[in-house]
Parts: sequence; structure tokens; C-alpha cells
Amino acid sequence: MRKIIIRIKIKHFISQFLIFLGTIIYTVMKEKEAQINHDVHPLVLYVEKEDGTYGRLETASFLSKNYLDDYFDKVRKWDAELKEKLDKGEISPVYYYMIMLEMGEGDLASRVGISKWKLRRHLKMKAFEKMNLRMLRRYADVFDIPVSNLLHFTVIKEKDQHKLKITYQKATSNPYISVSKIETV
Amino acid sequence: MKEIDFEHKMAAHCESGTVTALLNHGGLEITEPMIFGIASGIFFGYFESSVFSFPMFIVRNKPGSIRKNIIKRLGVNFYTRSFRSQEKGIEELDSLLAEGRPVATQVDFYYMEYMPEYLRTHMNVHFINVIGKNEKSYLISDSYYKEKAELRTELLHKARFVGGNMAPKGFLFYPVSIPENIDFEKAIRKGIKKAAHDMIKLPVPFVGVKGIRKFAKKVTGWPDLARDIDHLSHEIMKINVFLEDQGTGGAGFRFLYATFLQQAAQKINDAQLEGMSKRMMAIGDDWRNISYFAARIGKNRDLGESRLDELSQMIYMMADKEQEFFTELYKMVK
Repeated sequence: MRKIIIRIKIKHFISQFLIFLGTIIYTVMKEKEAQINHDVHPLVLYVEKEDGTYGRLETASFLSKNYLDDYFDKVRKWDAELKEKLDKGEISPVYYYMIMLEMGEGDLASRVGISKWKLRRHLKMKAFEKMNLRMLRRYADVFDIPVSNLLHFTVIKEKDQHKLKITYQKATSNPYISVSKIETV
Repeated sequence: MKEIDFEHKMAAHCESGTVTALLNHGGLEITEPMIFGIASGIFFGYFESSVFSFPMFIVRNKPGSIRKNIIKRLGVNFYTRSFRSQEKGIEELDSLLAEGRPVATQVDFYYMEYMPEYLRTHMNVHFINVIGKNEKSYLISDSYYKEKAELRTELLHKARFVGGNMAPKGFLFYPVSIPENIDFEKAIRKGIKKAAHDMIKLPVPFVGVKGIRKFAKKVTGWPDLARDIDHLSHEIMKINVFLEDQGTGGAGFRFLYATFLQQAAQKINDAQLEGMSKRMMAIGDDWRNISYFAARIGKNRDLGESRLDELSQMIYMMADKEQEFFTELYKMVK
């Protein structure tokens, strides 16, 4: 009986200790703990300095440093899923770019300058295929891509990605004609 | 490249950073937290609208109001203008730069080419200082970027004149005159009073502490709005982005505000405010726990009902804490 009680006490102690450790890890916003070394995504945070005053610290994003791969995995997965749906004609390229750029319907509609009702129709192939070139260009401007990209994807096979790269993809001075450059890395 | 002599410094937030840099350039020595606090920058709001692809929350007051409140409370005079015609907007910016004047302008963040691609989203309320120009590009001082950056001319024009919600319309501003004697005590008390008022007294169900409660209540329903588990995980992890990464100085501006309270306490010799600053820092730590928690459960796809309940409870607690805090702060400056 006593053994069990001791065991329970030890268990209790360990769990309390872990919680205590957790609070140490998560509740201190001191200068040293806040410093993250990562050059892609710099940030300014306000932290407690060693002398007790609060001030600015140039550091980097915790999320970008630790979880960026996860984000890119998700994006790749969505890209593949949406392209499959595009293949089957279930969605239109407008829907593809709207999801990939994480834009709201209301926002996209007002940037393109059409009603939300009209935008919703353009998300399906049935209305998309009736769209004229000028409307296509307005979408392309908002998505910041050449007009042709709404009808065409340039894909480099995974096994070739280390030697080939799309270095340039822009409209010429005629906005409907675009040029892509694929070069060896 | 014609470049204006301008000290570039990264800042926690784009609007307060831009205003601070301009005022420092004009000769007024003031820090970013002071600008943020005097302008009552701290806030909370939870929004569900078709403008956003998913429900979202904000942790600061309305874009543009930092500048407006600074004009009101410090007596600084700003020249401001937005444009209907793109040509006029471009012309005015160029002529101001030729005069040797750094100018702040409102842009769509998406076209800031120097930032890493994955960070760039369409957001019409980004503020930058333009500090130089040559034939091909402008020189930019952006609070979110380590160095001065070059931006292609056509991209800056695009960014200044995009359409959409809160369209920038080429909006630009710069300080014209800065008064010599500023009554900081009055400005600080007014700034605090307005911020506390907006946090606890506005009769709108989705802003202030009511907004925090609404967020806590609604977050458990997010799984119904998401396309799949990856999308849900992405949106939950964005809680971390909104609180830490989108130019907040950490913990959804709470650390920045604590710094303001401390600096204000020193400026006007108020021991009470010093104490409040410590409490705000502790509240900030709790928000930081929430953002780490969100990042972790999002990464692990550990998004069952009980986990989201846990998250919701944590957020509810913040509402109580902030209500108590701001009620006391309000009484202090009333």
C-alpha cells in the first residue's frame, strides 16, 4: 500500500515538475530566449532586457524557422489536389489562384472590379470558358501573373529541378503575349 | 541613384515604424512604443467577412489611425493626400523625392518583391517610406526588411494603385511641422484612456474584450469552415502568424504596449503605470503561450475537439485578464 502511495507521489511530483518546466519554457520573454537565428524572416520583437527594462530586439520568426517545411508541404499538397480538380474540369483556374493566394471572394471581386455573384460563377468552368480576354487580363493583373498562365502551367519534373529553373515569366509590352525563360541552374 | 540621407531601422509594426522614422528624421526624438501607445494602437477585433478567406482577428486599431491620433495628440502637422488619377500620384511622389523629402506611402504588401515570396499576401494597408529614386527603381525603407531595399518602378506604381477593399489610392504623407513643446503627459493619458475605452466600453459584440470572447467561442467551430485537416491546421497556425509574425512586436502588440507603459511611466514619473507595464508583460506572455500552443497543435495535426476546447479556454482566460487590466488602467487615467 505504502509503495503505491509513494509511486503516486513520485508520479505526481514528476508531472508537477514537467508542468513547471513547461512554464519556464513558455513564460519567459527575456532577451536571450527570444533570440532566434534565421535569416529568411527577420522580425523586431519587444522583450525584457537584462537590466529589467523593455526594448526592441532584432530577431527572426519562430514559426518560419521551425515550421516552414510543414507549410510548404501543405502548399504542395493543395497545389496537386487543385490541379487534379482542374484536370477534371471541376474548378476553374480562377478558383485555383484564389485558393493558392488565400484571397477572400469579396476581396478578389472588388480588386477585379466585378460583383461577388459574377465572381462565384467564374469559379466554375462553365462561366470561365465564356470569359473574354479582357476579363482574363483583369484577373491576371490581380494575381500578378501573365495572362497565359490562366490557361497554361509550366512544370519542371522533380528529377530535373536541380538543373532546370524557370528564371523569367512576364508579359511583354503587349500584355497578352508573355515570355518564359527556362534555364539551366 | 538619388538617395535621401535617411536612417533605416527595422520596426515592430509598419505604420508606427513609418511614422516614428519620419518624425525622427524631422528631428523629434521618440521611440516606436511611445508612438504606438500615444496613438492608442492596442486593440482586438474578430471578423467574419467575405473579404477574408477565413475568419480572422486583428490586434491593433484601424489602419491609418496611428497617424491620425498622433496628429491630434502631439500636434504634429502632416501633409496627407490620396489621388484619383495615377499620373498625378506618381508625379507628386517624384517631385517630393526630388525636393529631398522622404515620403510615406500606402501600398499593397503583395508587390514588395524584396520580401520572401511565401510571406507576401494581398494586404492593402502596408506602409513604407520612399527615400530615393533612379530610372528603374525606387529606394524603400520598409520596417519589415533588414536593409534599404530597391523596388522596381512599375511594381511600386502597381502597389500604390491597386483596387479592392481599403484601396491605397496612392495615399502619401509626410510631416510638415513638429511643435517644439509637446505636452507628453496629456498625450499619454489621452492615448491610454482611448485605448482602454475601446477595449472595454465599445458596445459592439466583436471588438475589444468582447471580441476576444467571440474569438474563443468561435474557434471551436473552425473545423466546419475548413476544407480539410491541412487547411484547418494552416488556419490554426495562422493564429501564431497574426500574434507574432505580422509585425506586432510579439504577443499581438502586448509586449510593445508594455514597453510603452514603462517608457511613459518614466517620462511622466508615474509609479502606477510602471506596475501596469509589468502586468501587461505578463499578459503578453500568456498570449505568447497561446501562439506557441496553436503552432504546436497545428503542426502535429492534433486538432480534436478537446484540443480546440483547450485553446478556447486559454483565449477566454485572456478576455478576463484583459478586462480586469484595462478597467483598472481606465480608472487610473480618468
